Amino acid sequence: MFDPKLKEALGRVQKPGRYTGGEPGSVYKDKTKMDVRFAFCFPDTYEVGMSFLGEKILYELLNSHENWWCERAFMPWLDMKAEMERLDLPLYTMESKDPLTDFDAVGFTLQYELSYTNILAMLDLAHIPFYAKDRDESWPLIVAGGPCACNSEPIADFFDVIQLGEGENQLPSICAEIEKAKKEGGVSKKELLRRIVKIPGIYIPSFYDVTYYEDGRVKAITPNEPEAPAVITKAIIKDLNEFAPPTNFVVPMVGAIQDRASIEVLRGCVRGCRFCQAGFLYRPMRQRDASLLNRAAQDLCANTGYEELSLSSLSTSDHGQLEELLDDLNEWAPKEHVSLSLPSLRVDNFSESLIEKTTKVRKSGLTFAAEAGTQRLRNVINKNVTWDEIEKTCNIAFRGGYTSVKLYFMMGLPTETMEDIEGIAETAQKVVDLYYANPKRGKGKGVQVTISCACFVPKPHTPFQFVPMDTEEMLRAKQKHLLESVHSRKIKVNYHDSTTSFLEGVFAKGDRRLAPVILEAYKRGCYFDGWEECFKYDTWMQVFEDMGVDPKFYCQRPIGLDEVTPWSHMDYGVTHEYLVREYNKALAAQTTQPCNRACHGCGANKLLGGPCFDYSQNLV
Amino acid sequence: MITVRISFEKKNEASYISLLDLQRVMQRILKRSGLPVWHTLGFNPHIYMTFACPLSLGQESECECVDVKTEAENPDFAQWQTALNAIMPAGIHITHVGPVQMKADLIAYACYEITYPAAAAAVLDQYNALDSAPVEKHGKKGNKIIELKEHIPQVDYTVEGENVRIFLCLPASQQLNLNPSLLTGFLEAKFGLPAVNAGILRKKFLTEDKQLFA
Repeated sequence: MFDPKLKEALGRVQKPGRYTGGEPGSVYKDKTKMDVRFAFCFPDTYEVGMSFLGEKILYELLNSHENWWCERAFMPWLDMKAEMERLDLPLYTMESKDPLTDFDAVGFTLQYELSYTNILAMLDLAHIPFYAKDRDESWPLIVAGGPCACNSEPIADFFDVIQLGEGENQLPSICAEIEKAKKEGGVSKKELLRRIVKIPGIYIPSFYDVTYYEDGRVKAITPNEPEAPAVITKAIIKDLNEFAPPTNFVVPMVGAIQDRASIEVLRGCVRGCRFCQAGFLYRPMRQRDASLLNRAAQDLCANTGYEELSLSSLSTSDHGQLEELLDDLNEWAPKEHVSLSLPSLRVDNFSESLIEKTTKVRKSGLTFAAEAGTQRLRNVINKNVTWDEIEKTCNIAFRGGYTSVKLYFMMGLPTETMEDIEGIAETAQKVVDLYYANPKRGKGKGVQVTISCACFVPKPHTPFQFVPMDTEEMLRAKQKHLLESVHSRKIKVNYHDSTTSFLEGVFAKGDRRLAPVILEAYKRGCYFDGWEECFKYDTWMQVFEDMGVDPKFYCQRPIGLDEVTPWSHMDYGVTHEYLVREYNKALAAQTTQPCNRACHGCGANKLLGGPCFDYSQNLV
Repeated sequence: MITVRISFEKKNEASYISLLDLQRVMQRILKRSGLPVWHTLGFNPHIYMTFACPLSLGQESECECVDVKTEAENPDFAQWQTALNAIMPAGIHITHVGPVQMKADLIAYACYEITYPAAAAAVLDQYNALDSAPVEKHGKKGNKIIELKEHIPQVDYTVEGENVRIFLCLPASQQLNLNPSLLTGFLEAKFGLPAVNAGILRKKFLTEDKQLFA
């Protein structure tokens, strides 16, 4: 039975099923027999967190150890947060319902800059001190990993351990050190950190000192412990086939956003789009064998009861054995009433047979990421997609019965002009025209083209890390111009709020001086910043002013090519020289071919200790 | 083809799953079990399922059921029960699987056990002393006023340690379906007894002539 306080809270909140656990596939163990208890925290709602594949991978991996128990915690929605505070109910995990303070380690995933305040809210709800320096051995070790770890400096002071790169080996190694230290007894927190720092890709923020120039730029980042490396190189799984995708998911019972079976077919991306942080963080591209994927997919569907299977990755159509994999999947999936979806297809290698193989059971909408409206700008960002390819793909899709097309774009890209913005509207209009020119289109049906336009945020570890972000005025003017350039009711325009993008840009390239700002904003009621209804822009701006920190310094200032960045001590394999070279090519609107065709020397091959691809074979 | 009734308990964690969510959960559990349940014909085939008398969110039950169909000959229902119980979410326990004996529209009453902290006894006495207890019932055809005293003239309760336990049967037919939350809501509005402290457990269904529905 539930604790009476929890029962009372559940009786008062919307969708209480988000806070109760017990879903099929969730793992329950006897806590008295555990050597390590790990609380995996997702700093957003249950619905968002349960859609996250990374958690499923690490949950299965940690729980495969008999004497370790990995449980889940999420950020409670506003009503539940208020109830928990009112009833003094500390933040608990879904499985045991134990408070986070009962755990040996509490891990957060850093997926999005605007979830930083939620991390503080979750620590606060758990009655855990915010700053690492205020926590001794008696507190759980607070760790973090995920893409935003690549410049975790704005929140580094809150964490004991930050994990760079892939967690499959790294996180179990941390847990093994915790287990060892517990069994030894009397190991100080500092000693434990000195042991953990030897694990590949581990960044212990307290082991580094940062100095600044008077103008605010970073002067130097220096280790203050002999064990800490000057530069931390991310952890990587050299051969993905050694780690089969998870075949058991916790299957949510209430409304997860991505509620389907999902297998990661490849990691990394060969494309080298210059705006894309993931494309640089996860290099080199590594793929899993089709036979392994087919087996895992079949097991996963059998173990979960899911009727939809998604082949996920940054660019699924770049998998060298995709057609073979789809053939294998189509052997059993239709019989089992399982439909296939491929969320990340590229317009340039989308084929008729591919569309046929993915729509045997169900037909959904089609989404293309064109990213920019003109060929010139697509060359600048190295999104090597041409109008001819878009045309060809749309024709295939329309003949295949599709009637809705979603086009993703960004605005605020480097070198962008109003002409490029008009190009977005023109591209969408040409897609509408293509539909009506297609004799085989669905009878009596109209077409719906949706333009989804995000604000470009320059990110660390990309060739565009050096460029300033567009100001809010510039972005608003461009949004207005886009709306004025659209003349068809068949075209719908969605765009992203520029103020949240601005804050995202500040945290993405921020440094350690932002930690007190984030804490103060949280104390003044900022959390769920990624949710429009909760985002308090004016409060944020007031906090920046009161704390004497200029947010524009971080994101609207060009960064010198030889400047020490707040993330200079973090190495994701790609060299600084390569980023500069790509940046200069971008300014000249020169493209770079996918790196499985020819190596461009980004440096990430050193992570594997050899070439990334067998270039003697024709992979394309 | 025979219709099979799967009877189950819905408690603890599972009491917070709505009917809509429960349908999806059952769909996946049945699919996962590999049992030979019948799928609807059509463009998007799905498992045919009918739930009787949905339970409100947060209430628990010992007498839920879902009907499915099967084309299997002489299915081993004991094996069905074991197979399903092995993969059910926390709080759902299958109590019986077998061919349908009674149609769901025979349900006329639902009986509940309501548990309050012991201090509620005084409030229940006050209720029993009332002449009238009108409550507003929200329905598809708009709201209407129901006189609770017509259906629950007296609340019979027993004090057991720290709790009081109420047992009552309410109409649960298609013509009139009264949720026990009407009573707990009334007690909160009239006497300030918090409804969130009431544990509601559905114990059984009865037919018009007070036979146990199974």
